[in-house]
Amino acid sequence: MSEAAAPVDVSGARDEWVGVEFDWTTFEMDSESMIAWAEACGETDPRFTDADHPDFQAQPNFTTHCMSGRVFPKEFPQFGSGFGIDGGKTVEAHAPIRAGDRLAGVTTIADIFDKTGRSGTMIFIVQRMKFTNQNDELVSTVDWKMIKKA
Amino acid sequence: MTVRSFEEVELGDDLPNETADVSMAQVKKFCKAAKHEFERFIDHEHARKEGFAGAIVPGIMSQGILTAMIHRWAPGATITKIDTVFRGTLLVDSEVTVSGAVTDTDDDSRVVEIDLTVVGEDGRTGVIGTALVAFPA
Repeated sequence: MSEAAAPVDVSGARDEWVGVEFDWTTFEMDSESMIAWAEACGETDPRFTDADHPDFQAQPNFTTHCMSGRVFPKEFPQFGSGFGIDGGKTVEAHAPIRAGDRLAGVTTIADIFDKTGRSGTMIFIVQRMKFTNQNDELVSTVDWKMIKKA
Repeated sequence: MTVRSFEEVELGDDLPNETADVSMAQVKKFCKAAKHEFERFIDHEHARKEGFAGAIVPGIMSQGILTAMIHRWAPGATITKIDTVFRGTLLVDSEVTVSGAVTDTDDDSRVVEIDLTVVGEDGRTGVIGTALVAFPA
């Protein structure tokens, strides 16, 4: 007989974990990857494909590939089973990301909430990474929505 | 059709529909650049073993494809926010259509909001989203 799942305390988890920083990682931005990314996406604007363009920069969602060292904080409660589903990403581009930039990514849990539909209750966990460049300028915020079955 | 200034944008305008290149070669190039070389994206057989109909297009590549479409529609404009929801899988080596429509305009900030959609060749929606696009003064 399988063990009954523990009740999910979404409200308690939100109170305890939202806003807590749990990972700090640095990322080097190189023109080769920036151009390959843009070209693979069908980008034709030379701002994103030509390293010699005076306004050369990464596509606005380039930071979505920068993964934190941990997905969740240590001691974070286990909701449901497995890793869950990638529900989508939101990117705010605050300033251009240039080749040679060294970005510091700080990761927090931005939100935890649940929704109930035909397939039952799903838990949404939003992981937020904020990226600042070597001049301490905020350049990008990425919210990654993970969905898990309660 | 491209727009060169905020004044050329009308509420309800459709961005030109595009067919995105999601061939295996293109997806492999993306995955290498993104350091996301997971087999479900670049190996049809492996993806089938995971229960997919074939290799799947990374969600963040779909987002980049939408970004490129916006840049072609409005050269010189700046995407300040893009929000995408991954609703279903899009298959590598299939025909994928991307589209967008202007749903709001703000005269003061010169920012327009666009609804975005990526549809697979089976007609199912793989990605929906929105973007905010700022035009220079």
